[in-house]
Amino acid sequence: MSATSPESLSKRSFVYRQLAGASFRDIAGGAMATGVAEGNNNRSQAEQSALLDLSVLPRTGFRGLTAAAHLQAAGLPIPARPNQASVTGSGELVLRLSQKEFWLLGALSDSGAGVDALNQRGLPAADCYSLYCQDSHAWLALTGAHLPATLAKVCGVDLREASFPLGSIAQTSVARVNVVIVHHQLAGVPCFSILCDSAAAEYLWESLLDAMGEFGGEVIGSNALL
Amino acid sequence: MSSMTRLKAPMGLLIDRDQPLSFSFDGKQYQGFEGDSIASALAGNERWLLSRSFKYHRPRGPLTMAGQDANTLIQLDKEPNVLADRELAVAGAQVQGQNYNGSLDNDRDAVLGHFSRFMPVGFYYRCFFKPLGAWHRWEGMIRKKAGLGVLDLDFKPEYYDKAYLFHDVVVVGSGPAGLSAALKAAEAGASVLLVEEQPILGGSLTYNRFDLDGKQADALRADLLARVEQHANIEVLTRATCNAWFADNYLPVIQGKRMYKVRAKECIVASGSFEQHVVFRNNDLPGVMMSSAATRLMKHYAVKPGNQAVVLTGNDDGYLSALELLDQGITVAAVVDMRDGPDSEALAASVLARGVQIFNGHTVYEAIPTKGNKHVKAVDIRQITGQGKVADSGETISCDLLCMSAGYMPVYQLLCQAGGQLRYDDSAAEFSLSKLPEHLRIAGSVNGIHTLEAVVADGERAAAEALLALELSTEQPQAVSCERRVNFDWPIFSHPKGKDFVDFDEDLQAKDIVNATRLGYRDVQLVKRFSTVGMGPSQGRHSALPTARLVANSTDRTVTETGVTTARPPFSPEKLAHVAGRIFDPYRRTAMHHRHLEMGAKMMPAGNWQRPAFYGNPDDRDALMQAEAEHVRNKVGVIDVSTLGGIELRGPDSAEFMNRIFTFAFLKQPVGRTRYAVLTNEHGVVIDDGVSCRLADEHFYVTATTSGVERVYREMMKWNAQWRLDVDITNVTSAFAAVNLAGPDARKVLEKLATDVDLSPEGFPYLAYREGSVAGIPSRLLRVGFVGELGYEIHVPARFGEALWDALQEAGKEFDLRPFGVETQRLLRLEKGHVIVSQDTDGMSHPGELSLEWAVSRKKPFFVGRRSVDIVMAQPQTRKLVGFTLPADTKKPEEGHLVLQGEDISGNVTSCEYSSAVGSIIGLAYVGIQQAEVGSQFPIRVDGGDIVNATVVDLPFFDPDNQRQAL
Repeated sequence: MSATSPESLSKRSFVYRQLAGASFRDIAGGAMATGVAEGNNNRSQAEQSALLDLSVLPRTGFRGLTAAAHLQAAGLPIPARPNQASVTGSGELVLRLSQKEFWLLGALSDSGAGVDALNQRGLPAADCYSLYCQDSHAWLALTGAHLPATLAKVCGVDLREASFPLGSIAQTSVARVNVVIVHHQLAGVPCFSILCDSAAAEYLWESLLDAMGEFGGEVIGSNALL
Repeated sequence: MSSMTRLKAPMGLLIDRDQPLSFSFDGKQYQGFEGDSIASALAGNERWLLSRSFKYHRPRGPLTMAGQDANTLIQLDKEPNVLADRELAVAGAQVQGQNYNGSLDNDRDAVLGHFSRFMPVGFYYRCFFKPLGAWHRWEGMIRKKAGLGVLDLDFKPEYYDKAYLFHDVVVVGSGPAGLSAALKAAEAGASVLLVEEQPILGGSLTYNRFDLDGKQADALRADLLARVEQHANIEVLTRATCNAWFADNYLPVIQGKRMYKVRAKECIVASGSFEQHVVFRNNDLPGVMMSSAATRLMKHYAVKPGNQAVVLTGNDDGYLSALELLDQGITVAAVVDMRDGPDSEALAASVLARGVQIFNGHTVYEAIPTKGNKHVKAVDIRQITGQGKVADSGETISCDLLCMSAGYMPVYQLLCQAGGQLRYDDSAAEFSLSKLPEHLRIAGSVNGIHTLEAVVADGERAAAEALLALELSTEQPQAVSCERRVNFDWPIFSHPKGKDFVDFDEDLQAKDIVNATRLGYRDVQLVKRFSTVGMGPSQGRHSALPTARLVANSTDRTVTETGVTTARPPFSPEKLAHVAGRIFDPYRRTAMHHRHLEMGAKMMPAGNWQRPAFYGNPDDRDALMQAEAEHVRNKVGVIDVSTLGGIELRGPDSAEFMNRIFTFAFLKQPVGRTRYAVLTNEHGVVIDDGVSCRLADEHFYVTATTSGVERVYREMMKWNAQWRLDVDITNVTSAFAAVNLAGPDARKVLEKLATDVDLSPEGFPYLAYREGSVAGIPSRLLRVGFVGELGYEIHVPARFGEALWDALQEAGKEFDLRPFGVETQRLLRLEKGHVIVSQDTDGMSHPGELSLEWAVSRKKPFFVGRRSVDIVMAQPQTRKLVGFTLPADTKKPEEGHLVLQGEDISGNVTSCEYSSAVGSIIGLAYVGIQQAEVGSQFPIRVDGGDIVNATVVDLPFFDPDNQRQAL
């Protein structure tokens, strides 16, 4: 994990061009911003209002009648109901998007090694299909103290703590783009992970930055949280 | 009085005396304080004339001081029709009057008032339409005289946005009822939103006097505010207007440049009531205002509303206003009580004790103006002798301020939008509201409760009801009643000389309303449309009640039967910018998007994607397109086809599913082969096409058109909800980036990058599918022939898309690889006669019309649309999509140009372009079936109405044996 540039690697984030001047490191064959050229790169910014691109962090998904068993066999905690997320001991997020659809989002702390491990396991013989969420979706993380108020400008779902506590998932529309929103913590900081159509990632990136503006929101790199 | 000699504190709740400011109005400088409205700052400088009325150009001044009337409409530098009693005064602002001819003080059009008898309601409906065409001559002049402010056509868009707010309870209005409701709800654990139109909380507590000593309101407000401000469960929005009520308590609340879309489980409307004016001659003069306007001027802005006042009232509140005026050093010449006497003897005694004369059973019959109707200088007081009738003579009292209150009208607009009904109580002479929907409640004076103690209790009662519904409390609400009467039943005193205004916005006098009923407009809705009453900016806030009374009286009906006109959103004028907000217009970009820009692509929309049309200067479109096409035909080109739809089908029944969805046969499609796939709907119409790749026995990867994939995916999900086949369907459009590498040298380029795939013609023949690595990137490779050249579609996971593009550019340098765009691709495929679904098809195109019979399996028992396809194909055909050519120097037809058959239209051109490869103009067109024979000619009507005769030819136009794509 040495300093690198996005274009030196063949795997590229869908929004890396929005991070001009940032410093990057190689994570799972892609470049993740560790610090941005301008702005506050420390934890206080993350705690106030920040946007972080996690798109190169590994993630995978499975759908089918045996998908839950596949994850369980790998020792992953299965959320009891759809639209709930659980956290593994090493920090991965297990999302249950329907009765039989699950996504696993890699942990920042181990550069998504847990996802790679799951992908090494063979799929069940029947009724379990891998999904393409690494490529179909970008992963943007919104952090800080103003998450519900920020999203209220672009999303019609009540995302206040009382209605959308930790571990909740909303499959909804943000700024007219279909997204999956996961409420969790990232290095102890309140976070909404937003998984959106990868082709619309640049659009949503700009829309979120616009919504964050009144809360002093800025782009951060991953070092702000590590 | 100058701005520096305002009334002493505690008057002036809204102003900061330490922050003086100056601004100009109609070219003259005025001083004010921060917190002043434009109207209050002008009033502080004794500038009362703010505007001219709409029709007669009469001078108008403050009426409500609450943004509830049109009297204060002024022109800002870049914005017309701004309410001066709502808009804050800003240092350096340049403010103008509007709607005048000459100057605001000397408006030449004021002469129109003298001719009012010749301009009754609807006069121009009846005067200017004969003879035929006359209206067009009058229209310009009338329109010039109508209208108000001036739009700034150089206006630069500003940032407006929207945000959702979610709360258990929303309370609209922060008067004593709203505050008490919000507190009770919050204390029980509900999350509460308190919406207040004014800059500060308190509603009538901020300006109204409720007791002899004038202390009760301040004490109560201080107590309630302290508790509200400290309460964590209450969110407060001031200067915020709840502009509508929509189903399930969906409330648009406008604050500044933002519209909040509020979602509330319970809604309590404590919107209060509008004080009503008295109808008498010259009741619109500057200096004549609502009692509440006078007290607002004093308490909010520390401005003396006048020096010598007369109070005209129909309730006890007038006496309290008189006391307030007296306390601030204003002489009160008289209290004129339209009733026989006040309800409270103590009040009367208190007023009398201050040396004020009281006229019971009297009214102001006429306000007497200064020269030019600029201000009131005296009032003619008459004894009331019957309903609307007065004695022949009276007494004239000098004054420069007339405060009037005929009573109150509940702020019913939101509630009627919600389906509430207004009922008129003859004994109380006021409207009440009933039949409200569930989870919508009212409290305070909007609910007909008027004593302060009862208003507070009513707010708590409404909150208790809401809490019960929210299951946050089990307390049973206690009903609140109030016997206090506040409305005088007939505060309308018509004058033979008129100018007794019912509706100030539209200059409507009492006789105008009565005359409308005499002309047959008996229904209040028709009276509104004929007279325009209630259609001005104040939307009937003060005209609805007198109009209902006048119409009822003129048509021998009750006021309840007459009712008021429909209240529709918005409650107050809102800007289109608020409705639009921050516009969200999502766009999608392929992984290679920025590379296209760097290479000078002219981008074009394709659905919500952006795609390169061609590369180079847009002015050179035709030449660049031809050059790109020739390059593909002679060397090698690459196009980004990532926007193509992609759908994956996996599972034991995936082949069966494919077979049912698409027209072709797929059960026996070999693994490693591609097959053309056409989708018809249940009407047999071709709605999409693509390529099916069989990756494994139970795994298909199907492409779809860029704009059609969502529909295809939706159709697949819909059908499988019925069929319940064991197949997993996934839309993977965004998951894959793809290019089409095409041209005679395509293999040579790919060979440099794909070292683990046998690319020989035998190892990877036309229409085959392979998987391998391209520049180390896991790839799906399809031998395709859309552009009619040796070609490979390379599909890779989207995160690798840009790297793939880069690798191809690098590898292709020695073969002069160039990118080509969508426009070029359309030309290339046209040369091959390939249709583009939705460009070359329409809502009736069946496979036979498109010569796609070969892609329809006649052996399998079913596919979606099979029955319809069989039926339409069995019918005599009426039209056909054919290829045609025209000499290169012919006027080129455009898509959509009509094909003629005699005098009739038999079809239209769907695609047309000049082809350098063919050396002529080529195209596809629907023609009549009799025109479809190869070699025959048909006429096309092109631009300018010219006719060109095209020749039907066999398809494809280029490489008829399809040898190039099979290399």
